[in-house]
Amino acid sequence: MGEHQSVPTPTVTSPWDLTGYWGPTDPEQHPAVRLVHERFPDAFREATVFRDEMTIHVDRRALRDVVAFLRTHPELRYNHLTDITAVDMLYLRERPRFDIVVQLYSIPRRQRLRVKCSVDDGETVPSLVPIFAGATWLERECYDMFGVVFEGHPDLRRILLPENWEEGHPLRKDYPLRGYRDYVQPGFDSPAPRIRGTLRRPGP
Amino acid sequence: MIDFSQPTPVILSEVRQLTPTRRELVLNMGPQHPSTHGVLRVRLTLEGETVIACDPVIGYLHRGVEKLGESHRYAQFVPWTDRTDYVAAPSNNLGYVLAVEKLCGLQAPERAQYWRMIMAELARLASHLVWLGTHALDIGALSVSLYTFRDRELILDIFEKFCGARLTTNMMEIGGFSREIPPDLPEMVREFCRYFPKAIRQYEDLLTENPIWLARTKGVGIIEPEVAINYGLTGACLRGSGVNYDVRKAMPYLLYDRVEFDVPLGTHGDVYDRYLVRIEEMRQSIRIIEQCLEQVPTDGPLMAYESQYVIPPHKNVMTTAEDMQRHFIWVIKGFSPPKGEVYHAVEHSKGELGYYIVSDGSPIPYRLRIRSPDFVNLQSLPYMAQGAMLADIVALIGTIDIVLGSVDR
Repeated sequence: MGEHQSVPTPTVTSPWDLTGYWGPTDPEQHPAVRLVHERFPDAFREATVFRDEMTIHVDRRALRDVVAFLRTHPELRYNHLTDITAVDMLYLRERPRFDIVVQLYSIPRRQRLRVKCSVDDGETVPSLVPIFAGATWLERECYDMFGVVFEGHPDLRRILLPENWEEGHPLRKDYPLRGYRDYVQPGFDSPAPRIRGTLRRPGP
Repeated sequence: MIDFSQPTPVILSEVRQLTPTRRELVLNMGPQHPSTHGVLRVRLTLEGETVIACDPVIGYLHRGVEKLGESHRYAQFVPWTDRTDYVAAPSNNLGYVLAVEKLCGLQAPERAQYWRMIMAELARLASHLVWLGTHALDIGALSVSLYTFRDRELILDIFEKFCGARLTTNMMEIGGFSREIPPDLPEMVREFCRYFPKAIRQYEDLLTENPIWLARTKGVGIIEPEVAINYGLTGACLRGSGVNYDVRKAMPYLLYDRVEFDVPLGTHGDVYDRYLVRIEEMRQSIRIIEQCLEQVPTDGPLMAYESQYVIPPHKNVMTTAEDMQRHFIWVIKGFSPPKGEVYHAVEHSKGELGYYIVSDGSPIPYRLRIRSPDFVNLQSLPYMAQGAMLADIVALIGTIDIVLGSVDR
């Protein structure tokens, strides 16, 4: 999300900028940014900071290698996978469609880090299951909600929605809030009326 | 397509003949099983009474809370957080409002932060009491649930006194609390703190050295520390295995760095250790509440009204036109935080509850992700169930401490 860099820094220093739980706020001094940049010069895209949170953007093909490197490097040791999720960037940019967001945490160093990669509809992301067993359900949820395919996942099927769900992936931005189809509830003759068909999103 | 007029065919069990002497039975447990704490369905593959595979099937309570969050204004979503984990609603409120406050760069006044800590710790106690009662009930100790629900009422009374609601509290607001603290509330909480250690001793008298409880919990469901970290577990599931990670200590939010408390750790990583960890956590919560009550200022602002991201005061809404207009416009239009993305985690009673919010500068979150602790913790059930006895499954489901509203969101 490169446009976050263009946001002017707030004039009032926020108390949240100084917590330091994500390491140095200067990307040049952040050890993870430096080491990932040195080790993966081709895959490294950029490092962004908002509040005190450091985000590393990498190429999607290198995601698994970068996360494995972050986990095993003795200076970094990001050994706890907190979260994997996706963001549908449909309204924010042309392409690629999705951002995969991986939140990491280092229990020995007490530091967080966010790793992101961009993936277009139809492309695949290397699965993190070989590195973290906890990625199994998180990636299944990501596939269920966004339709992002994780390559190498041992058991990629829907998790929250029924396995025969045919309507697509509900957290995509073009999926209507009440779904595509009208359901007739048991005991009723017609579907419930739609009060607001589509979501009105106020422009920024 | 789902046809609601037809009953859904569910295969309850099937038997597969592996060899002439070995048979494999696939057994369906739930989603209406009373010991699955809601609507968890588990597909068990058994050989005799030994579980050889276990596949939790979730989603029966999926309401699309994240999608709803991406269609509501920031302040409108706070009541929805109650409905994710409904036994510890204030903790969910806290995680969300702290994430939004981080996004907006504002901080609640000191007095509000102390009261937030008190309410979050009371929510932890309430959640642990529900967990202890139902967990013991599953394993067969019926009377414990009577004691725990008796004491949970006292906490719910405090919530009712504070905000008028008992279960879905909708207690915290972005920027602090807009209602004044009732004058007799601190004494009510103090009285509870004086009473509650005796109640914990009662639970321990019933369970800790009970031979049946020991036989059902010791050595069952062992998770090694490396495996626990690998599965991304948090909360008592991680600390029961001896890994010291508590968000309140590792990355103190609110004013947790001003209070003293210990993080209990287990040694064996079995069901019994996780039970001991949670019992000790209840004692530590009482310690935190007592220190907060000592330190909290008796008067001072409860809401950061100077910020543009905070709802204007209700005080003169009914008497002056300007205040009414300001209030009306804020409620109708909401507020627009800066563009950016934040992740904020709090120590929920079940583990690390994180909210990841992406803002595009509009009054509606562009992406709102709830990292619920029990969704991740439930992943360890197949690992623990492998090779366990069928009767242990209820102990294993209980020890993870799941609330399906939070797992399915």
